[in-house]
Amino acid sequence: MSNKIGVFVCHCGINIASTVDVEQLTKYAAGLDGVVVSKDYKYMCSDVGANLIKDSIKKHKLDGIVIACCSPRMHEHTFRGVVEAGGVNGFNLEIANIREQCSWVHEDKARATEKAKVLIRGAVAKARLLEPLEPSKVSVTPTAVVIGGGIAGIQASLDLAEEGHKVYLVEKTPSIGGRMAQLDKTFPTLDCSGCILTPKMMEIANHPNIELLTYSEVIGIEGSIGNYKVKIKKKPRYVDLEKCTGCGDCVDACRLKGRVVSEFDMGMGKRSAIYMPFPQAIPLKCTVDSDHCLMITRGKCGAGPLCVEACEADAIDFKQKEEEIEVDVGAILVATGYDVMDPSNLYECGYARSDDVITTLEMERLISSSGPTGGEIVCPSNNEKPSSITFVLCVGSRDETECTWCCRIGCMSALKQVYLLKEKLGDDVEINVCYTDIRSFGKGYEEFYRNIRGLKTNFFRGRPSEIRNVDDHLKIDIFDTTTNKLFEIITDLVVLVPALVPRADADEFARILRISQSGDGFFLEAHPKLRPMDTFVGGIFIAGCCQGPKDIQDTVSMASGAAARAANILSKKELESEPLVSCVDEEICSGCSVCVSVCAYSAIEIVKEDNGKSYAKVNEALCKGCGACVGACPSGAMQQRGFKDKQILPMIEETI
Amino acid sequence: MSIVDLTSMGESQAELREEINDRLSRLQDEVSDYCFQCAKCTSGCEAHKLLELEPHKVVALLKRGLIDELVNSDVIWTCMSCFKCRERCPQKKVAPVDILFALKNMAVASGKQIPGKYTGMLQSILSIGLIQETQSVITRDNKTNKREDLGLPAISKPVDAAKFQMVLSKLAVEKV
Repeated sequence: MSNKIGVFVCHCGINIASTVDVEQLTKYAAGLDGVVVSKDYKYMCSDVGANLIKDSIKKHKLDGIVIACCSPRMHEHTFRGVVEAGGVNGFNLEIANIREQCSWVHEDKARATEKAKVLIRGAVAKARLLEPLEPSKVSVTPTAVVIGGGIAGIQASLDLAEEGHKVYLVEKTPSIGGRMAQLDKTFPTLDCSGCILTPKMMEIANHPNIELLTYSEVIGIEGSIGNYKVKIKKKPRYVDLEKCTGCGDCVDACRLKGRVVSEFDMGMGKRSAIYMPFPQAIPLKCTVDSDHCLMITRGKCGAGPLCVEACEADAIDFKQKEEEIEVDVGAILVATGYDVMDPSNLYECGYARSDDVITTLEMERLISSSGPTGGEIVCPSNNEKPSSITFVLCVGSRDETECTWCCRIGCMSALKQVYLLKEKLGDDVEINVCYTDIRSFGKGYEEFYRNIRGLKTNFFRGRPSEIRNVDDHLKIDIFDTTTNKLFEIITDLVVLVPALVPRADADEFARILRISQSGDGFFLEAHPKLRPMDTFVGGIFIAGCCQGPKDIQDTVSMASGAAARAANILSKKELESEPLVSCVDEEICSGCSVCVSVCAYSAIEIVKEDNGKSYAKVNEALCKGCGACVGACPSGAMQQRGFKDKQILPMIEETI
Repeated sequence: MSIVDLTSMGESQAELREEINDRLSRLQDEVSDYCFQCAKCTSGCEAHKLLELEPHKVVALLKRGLIDELVNSDVIWTCMSCFKCRERCPQKKVAPVDILFALKNMAVASGKQIPGKYTGMLQSILSIGLIQETQSVITRDNKTNKREDLGLPAISKPVDAAKFQMVLSKLAVEKV
């Protein structure tokens, strides 16, 4: 109970003061029951404003504070600190939001002022009944799980491991490396992608603090910030990792050698049913593809599996079963990456109609010396060297019917491939680029673009309408807005630069982790500028392209940032948890368990006493303070601290 | 403050622009403001050779409010209304074809001269359902072919001409 209340009205520059008469408001507040002091100031969140509050608390021995200012989402935390510094419990503070809920949404000053008075009256009514609260402490498990073994996951794992935290790195495919491992060279410096990536992959394999779980998936999480239990499914590899030496004899022996489409080569090459995705794979172990291996799909493979015969280490074990493990961690870092849009959705691109219409990632595998053609550039339809190659940018990107966003890497990756193709094929191959805008925004990108413009490349500013098969060529209609002419390009090979899209399983994965997605389906950051690596769930962070399209530079920066954010939690022994959570009056509670069924965080359980009485019990570490149980409770036994019925009802009474 | 077109000394007709955009918004939510001039419409335009203005320019002129230049061009009558520009637009159907329909209707309403050929075509549509009685096709590269040579079926005529005309006139009332 507070009976000496101070009211502080903020002008927020002119944000509030231009629509609300702050002087009149301050005078009005001074006359309210229990208010002993009422003051206004231009910026209450400034140092001067904070001192004004602190001094008033001491001078008038205040025990309840009402601040009329912006939304509590903005400055409640700041003002709690100020109030604490003044010597009053931070939870004896009530914010009256007279900016977002008043001055910003009204024009009539007189009526806006009246509404602000009502809001303050309500806040003061609640402030009279506020109780001091203390945050409870929870211990922290100093380990982390990183989901996704691409460059983002690799960087984040190494950063966390270097700080001394144990890291579980979970990767869905047989090897870490991700998309970056599929690339030949990287823009704008033309570093060999493998040369800069594989040292980091080796570090992951050898780091004492990193436990690598490849061919595994996260299937569930429980718990909350500081203490998560992560359930991981280890898919059967049918190869004993201890025994396999990675010699590859089994790959050569496989009956299906060269008959299974290689996902690492983006369908440009074939592999065996037992395979190693690429020569620098980590771990350098073989994996049996259970969708194709005859032993698994049909239960027999000729007279006997040739791979088993070929394996000298006796590592192949068709009896392996799926395993589930559970790890305890304090933080979760999500770095699950992106998919490339399937251009077949856009009929006019001709992707589904011709083998010679490919995507940038497919071209990357053709260019790569470890790719299916050993780095030779050939048309997939006839294995002949093309005499003309045409790039089409923004396929499905910046398109209201497909993906509304810019893929951020399309322009630069196409320009890079132009350079690499010129290097490989020389000037006798014609290269055309159809672009809408070239977005070369990064450091060194514009310089790279300028260099490419000097390489005898035909740039067409416009979007092709259609790519057609005509005889054994491809024809493209393109209106070039720089020359104002409609051209027909006759070409051998078309490279589409498709949009980047969220992973196919992003929706389901977001549900498992209980994190949000933005409208485009990528995982949503807590704040686009100030908390770009955080999610709305405490202790879960995001990095790389799972948050939105990014180049390697930005991905690595974000991964290091997210690792630092996670380390913030892991380096603490204990975390303070928000005390604004639910609590039960055990005397009133009948143990009906309605609250248990509405709780989205599994934070409530029913406890049975020896005498037969049962009641609900809230796990304060899990409770997020959403209030669902309070609304559902039929008896009023369930209350939320800081928002108890006896605090809220007088507030409502004063307001309406 | 104003923007002057030094090429033709044309002035922006803001009110007319609003009227056209208003007519367009009755058809769809988006108007010309969203066009970023990728020219995909022009890349695929079937009547490109015959047009005085390219489809993407039709949108650009509307954005600038240079309506006179649009109305005085024969583009509004030569568009063959295949709707490909509308189908393939990446900005959700900022369709030059719809702009041209709006302009056609406004031209008729204001009593502007309609090209003789056009009224002839209208008559032909009313009587036989086709703009001209022909079994030949002109391809994009200006070659004339017989329909049957291209393996296309013959075109049928309306069975009951009177009923057909009645339906057409009913439709014509619900204009853009």
